[in-house]
Amino acid sequence: MEKYVYIALFAPLLSSLFVALFATRPKILFMGILASLLIGASMISSFILLFYVNAHGALHVKMMDWISAGNLEIPFGFVVDQVSVIMMVTVTFVSTIIHVYSIGYMDHDKSFNRFFSYLSAFVFSMLILVMSDNFVGLFIGWEGVGLCSWLLIGFWYHKPSAAWAANEAFIMNRIADLGMLMGLFLIYWQIGSFQYDIVFASIKFLDISIVTTIGIFLFIGAMGKSAQFPLHTWLADAMEGPTPVSALIHAATMVTAGVYLVIRCGDIYSLIPHIGFAIASLGAFVAVFAASMALVNNDLKRIIAYSTLSQLGYMFVAAGLGAYWIALFHLMTHAFFKSLLFLGAGNVMHAMHDELNIKKMGGLYGSMKATAILMSVASVALAGIYPFAGFFSKDMILEVAFNEGAYFLWFALFIGAGMTAFYSFRLVMLVFFGEKEHTKYGIHPHEAQPFVIYALMPLGLLAVIAGFFEHAFRGFVTKLLTNYDIQIAHGTEVLLIAATLGIAISGISFAIYMYSRGGFSKTLENRFCYKLLINQYFIPKLYELYIMKPFGAISNFLWQKIDVKIIDFSVDMVAKILYTSGEKSRKMQSGNLSDMLRWMVVGIVILLAVAIFYRPIV
Amino acid sequence: MDHILSLIIFFPFVAGLFGFLVNKDSVRAYGISVSAIEFLLTLVLWVGFDSSNAGYQFVEYTALIPSFGMSYYLGVDGISLFLVILTSLMTMISLIALNIEKDAKNLIISVLFLEMTMVGVFLILDVILFYSFWELSLVPMLYIIGAWGSARRVYAAIKFFLYTFAGSVLMLVGILYMGFLYHEATGIWSFALPDWYLLQIPLQMQLWLFGAFFLAFAIKVPMFPFHTWLPYAHGQAPTIGSIILAAVLLKMGSYGFVRFSLPLFPDASVYFLMPIAIIAIIMVIYGAMVAYAQEDMKQVIAYSSISHMGIVVLGTFAMNAEGITGSIFLMLSHGIVSGALFMLVGVIYDRRHTKLMSEFGGIASVMPNFATIYGIMLMASVGLPLSVGFVGEFLSLVGFYKVNWVMTLMAGSGIILGAVYMLNLYKKSFFGPITHEENRTLKDLNGKELTALIPLVALVVILGVFPKPVLSTIDMSVKKMLSLMEQKAVENDTRDLIINVNSIGGKR
Repeated sequence: MEKYVYIALFAPLLSSLFVALFATRPKILFMGILASLLIGASMISSFILLFYVNAHGALHVKMMDWISAGNLEIPFGFVVDQVSVIMMVTVTFVSTIIHVYSIGYMDHDKSFNRFFSYLSAFVFSMLILVMSDNFVGLFIGWEGVGLCSWLLIGFWYHKPSAAWAANEAFIMNRIADLGMLMGLFLIYWQIGSFQYDIVFASIKFLDISIVTTIGIFLFIGAMGKSAQFPLHTWLADAMEGPTPVSALIHAATMVTAGVYLVIRCGDIYSLIPHIGFAIASLGAFVAVFAASMALVNNDLKRIIAYSTLSQLGYMFVAAGLGAYWIALFHLMTHAFFKSLLFLGAGNVMHAMHDELNIKKMGGLYGSMKATAILMSVASVALAGIYPFAGFFSKDMILEVAFNEGAYFLWFALFIGAGMTAFYSFRLVMLVFFGEKEHTKYGIHPHEAQPFVIYALMPLGLLAVIAGFFEHAFRGFVTKLLTNYDIQIAHGTEVLLIAATLGIAISGISFAIYMYSRGGFSKTLENRFCYKLLINQYFIPKLYELYIMKPFGAISNFLWQKIDVKIIDFSVDMVAKILYTSGEKSRKMQSGNLSDMLRWMVVGIVILLAVAIFYRPIV
Repeated sequence: MDHILSLIIFFPFVAGLFGFLVNKDSVRAYGISVSAIEFLLTLVLWVGFDSSNAGYQFVEYTALIPSFGMSYYLGVDGISLFLVILTSLMTMISLIALNIEKDAKNLIISVLFLEMTMVGVFLILDVILFYSFWELSLVPMLYIIGAWGSARRVYAAIKFFLYTFAGSVLMLVGILYMGFLYHEATGIWSFALPDWYLLQIPLQMQLWLFGAFFLAFAIKVPMFPFHTWLPYAHGQAPTIGSIILAAVLLKMGSYGFVRFSLPLFPDASVYFLMPIAIIAIIMVIYGAMVAYAQEDMKQVIAYSSISHMGIVVLGTFAMNAEGITGSIFLMLSHGIVSGALFMLVGVIYDRRHTKLMSEFGGIASVMPNFATIYGIMLMASVGLPLSVGFVGEFLSLVGFYKVNWVMTLMAGSGIILGAVYMLNLYKKSFFGPITHEENRTLKDLNGKELTALIPLVALVVILGVFPKPVLSTIDMSVKKMLSLMEQKAVENDTRDLIINVNSIGGKR
């Protein structure tokens, strides 16, 4: 079985390296196909491992030693257990579809080969992240996906906005990574190992305050990757990257790494429920906060990005409250319908010649039926309507919040569910129905190539049916994760489900009702709350004004004032004093006999004075 | 193999002397061949090195002036071995990349002399001889900057020379006093470092001696606020000078801390731990912020060296095997990465005769190979895992965490700020639209430049993925040094600290 572990892991690396050899060449179609096949091989291996783990339990391989110094030993080791294999299957499945999709999407791009090289490198890093058997191995993948994210957001680097967004994403993630590193250091000096099994076995013997600190540090790391407040601004800006990237990295996989970390460290977080509750509260806040920004935005991709942010908040609620398997389940279903939504958006963008303003679309249903249906399916799944996938996972998260007695969190998520339904269908209505605004701009939209649509079918299917795997999924992952039972009286539960469904359906109906009548009146746009939402609560502005600008100013000050004017100046001053004193005292050596005699007298006086007054210290 | 260390030290010198006879047109090939043979010799040294022996190997000892205890004493251990290999490697690579035509012969001979002095500093165990080589290394560098540098080269060269020279004079006083102390204690004169290691010195004297050595090392590293010679030297030096300066010469200072300050004065090292750590943190943050403010690409990398050397110093003063091994590994990785970065800046300077970032923009599309290698080195510089930069940085920070976690957090901000200035540099120079017409026709890397750079790229990856052979060799000698420090410490607090920072868990 080890062989499949290595195939799953290294096929993407092989793909990336091989295609990279042709990175600067013009488009070679075969490179796209080869990359897709290799990622496909990785997916098949992952599925084989899924069945193996189901039958025989976890698989642990150690490839080689990596770092050893002092007492520290870090190997390259991989563990394929119930959690990591679910992640592997999700990642490789979505990746394969996105690779195939990208053959069509990147068709006319001159850096076609380079794109596939980066994309496969991302899959490799993501697999390292989920498969490693120790925290530092996870950190390799963690930074690796950050690098690939940087490369792919900045893929069209000639656009200054893309270059800026790429750097923003990398730096924001680095801030969080420092927190994570601190957590790792603390784990090492307390336990002496980074191996999951050793750490989780001995964590319960540590002082609770230390466990709390570890939990906080690790969660700071998770906040960066999963773009939780206040490190969330990079995710929306990351939409500068090509759409398949947004689908794969900034929706389905990389951004869920933070959730994966919390799930993986369930043994740590279950010891510190107060931190777990804080995580859940932050998650609930982000769920509503991000959804509110999605309500008014007019950028097709940004709406979906905010929606991702909001759904990550849901996952953190579940993970924070200890319902790890539910968080993982939502992570998986979300990966399916959110990547579908993004890829559909990619089709729309292509049809609209890279126009992103949904106010300039409308009526696309006529020309792009397949995409419209797929995106509607994804939106219904996202809104959480029975029997689509999102219903099962999201509803359970609300029940968890209720079950834990966190009624306020439940209420926030409940409101969030309504908002989700509304903005999803606002998007669908504005893009696919209503007036054909795009005719004003002389655009003639056309449907994507057939194979692109076929590639999306499996995602569409899963967005519909994935929810029915709930019981099998639960049985599988709770062999490793702590089980979580929702104990709510049957009557209340039915009531809750009905309420959630009710608010989702009202959100949808409200959106359909309003936008089939031409939407809201323009005067709303002058209101303060609209301005607040469209400007993302002015947070990016605040960051620019109070962090970036001062940082630049202080840096300049340090360089031009401190470094040049003070430190270097004093160094030169020492040299100058020596030099000028030499220059001045040179006059003593005038060669004039009477001058010399005079100086001799001075010297004698000084020597006499020393001889009289100096007493050596005994 | 008996005299391999002498051979390694003096081969470049002798070859340099013969270099005067070599025809002008073939001197470049001559220089590369000599440095390649030297590199092979150092590799032979590694092959012959017994990595299960933590002590000095290939020791050569000849008494020079026995009545004063001066000797010709050479030896190599895990700490110095890789620094020697780094020296010979980077000298070879920088000669391969050399493209100065004017007086190339003199330049190459200077570089070979410089190589002798650098290797000597790492291999010599007699302190008087060490001091001689330490000071001698300034002379070729003075010529390299002063004769082949840019506009303000003479100012920069003299500043470099006088500043570092002034710092070392105090070290000479310290050395003589140490010799005197040894004579007082044992009745015989000796300037052999291994003899000195055995000497226990009272705390008060340790403090003074530590200070005398500290200034010499601090200026060389360079530590804040003694760093201002570095930007000038880098700014004015030719590419080859910058490469060797960043890759090797700075390491002489941090090597001095590991070789002299810690084992000779363990109590003083612990006594001054906090002030030095504070300086190191200032170096990390201040260096990174000043680097961010620069407009000149080369100055960014020059100041980034200060930032990285801050982590090296911090790791050294972590007083545990993780930190010291990490800091030595970081010296190697910084040598490779900053050397490569200076070389890359040289590549673009040759083409455009400017290093200002505002003159570039969008060159990723014109010079894709250049941009790729620059990107790899950039990622190694910011410490991406699986690149060489991560291992040393991670270990140094791990090590210091046990001493003080808040200070580690502050020093760790280097990984954020490093990304800030490096990515900013990359964005300004490589991304965005092409703003200057003359950049449209820039040629990508040529064969010579690729020959010099590709080995470095390979090393960045190989040592990043497979650092263990290097680490374990360093680690053994470091552990030996730590146990020596623990034994000879005169204060109980020192011993407790060393034991504490080397053990897992709260208390032993």
